[in-house]
Amino acid sequence: MATSEALAAGTKVETSGSRSWGDVVFYTVLALCAAAFLITLQVIFFKAPVESTMGIVQKIFYFHVPIAYSMYVGAAVCFLGSAGYLARGTRGWDALARAGAECAVAMGVLVLVTGALWGAKAWGVYWTWDPRLTTALLSVLIYVAYVVMRAFAGDGDSERKFAAALGVLGAANLPIIHYSVQKWGGNHPKVITSGGGGLQHPDMKLALMLGFLTFTLLAVVLIWTRVRIELAASRLSEAEEEALELGVGEE
Amino acid sequence: MSADQAGQQAPGTAGQGTADDRGATFRAVEGGNQMQSGEKLLVEAYAVIWIVILVFVASMFRRQRRLDRRIETLEAALQKARAKTGSE
Repeated sequence: MATSEALAAGTKVETSGSRSWGDVVFYTVLALCAAAFLITLQVIFFKAPVESTMGIVQKIFYFHVPIAYSMYVGAAVCFLGSAGYLARGTRGWDALARAGAECAVAMGVLVLVTGALWGAKAWGVYWTWDPRLTTALLSVLIYVAYVVMRAFAGDGDSERKFAAALGVLGAANLPIIHYSVQKWGGNHPKVITSGGGGLQHPDMKLALMLGFLTFTLLAVVLIWTRVRIELAASRLSEAEEEALELGVGEE
Repeated sequence: MSADQAGQQAPGTAGQGTADDRGATFRAVEGGNQMQSGEKLLVEAYAVIWIVILVFVASMFRRQRRLDRRIETLEAALQKARAKTGSE
């Protein structure tokens, strides 16, 4: 993943209207993501066999698990950006944290919804207070709180620092989600974690691997785009303030 | 209702009586609904995935548009200021 400095460089270029290596990499990743989506869908629906007991609804798994992984990616980026902001105090790190949190919320909502739809078939209920489900919900709520706070609490230094603290502390729940199944049991399947039986068909494994690749690329594209917008917005705010100080555009 | 309870009352296990009992009475599964169509749930799941991703992308597009408008306003103000300075 690109560093905040590289992302900042990309924003500088974007606002000036020319193309740089950052743009080339970005559009390459975007094209790869689109291609990966098409190939993954093709493999899931036309190549991977239908599971013997769950039936066709098991195909939710090939997106559900990679989406959960990309939620971790978003949350990890939020942690990294927040820690970077607390250490350095630059807008690049703050933009990275905000982008990561938004990605974590979007992916978290998808994990909860796709999991609930799978559960309706597998368990007969959409929701149960299983340890993994509960800890995943808690994590999503933490990032929703982060996003809501950033949207409504202003954009001052103290607000950014408070949000950064939340971004760092919110990451503490991530390992708990991961190990909750092993530590506390529950109903959540553990097919691909330790102790699970794994995917028994090579095309099932291929579909899952492609799902991971697709959603990693999607998370990178979403976070990168969001960081570029955030950095451009903060540069513009600075320029507007400077213009007002110089008396430009007062009328 | 917990998933364990739902599992205990699943359609495959709920009718524990004799063939005559099953012919005389229909008992509903309480709480859970295991008769959901897998196809329908699959379509719903994929639809939700696309909708959430599209909403996220659309929100970024909207932010970008707002940013473009602010840039235009600033550029117009700068041009005006330049023209004013030039005329003085």
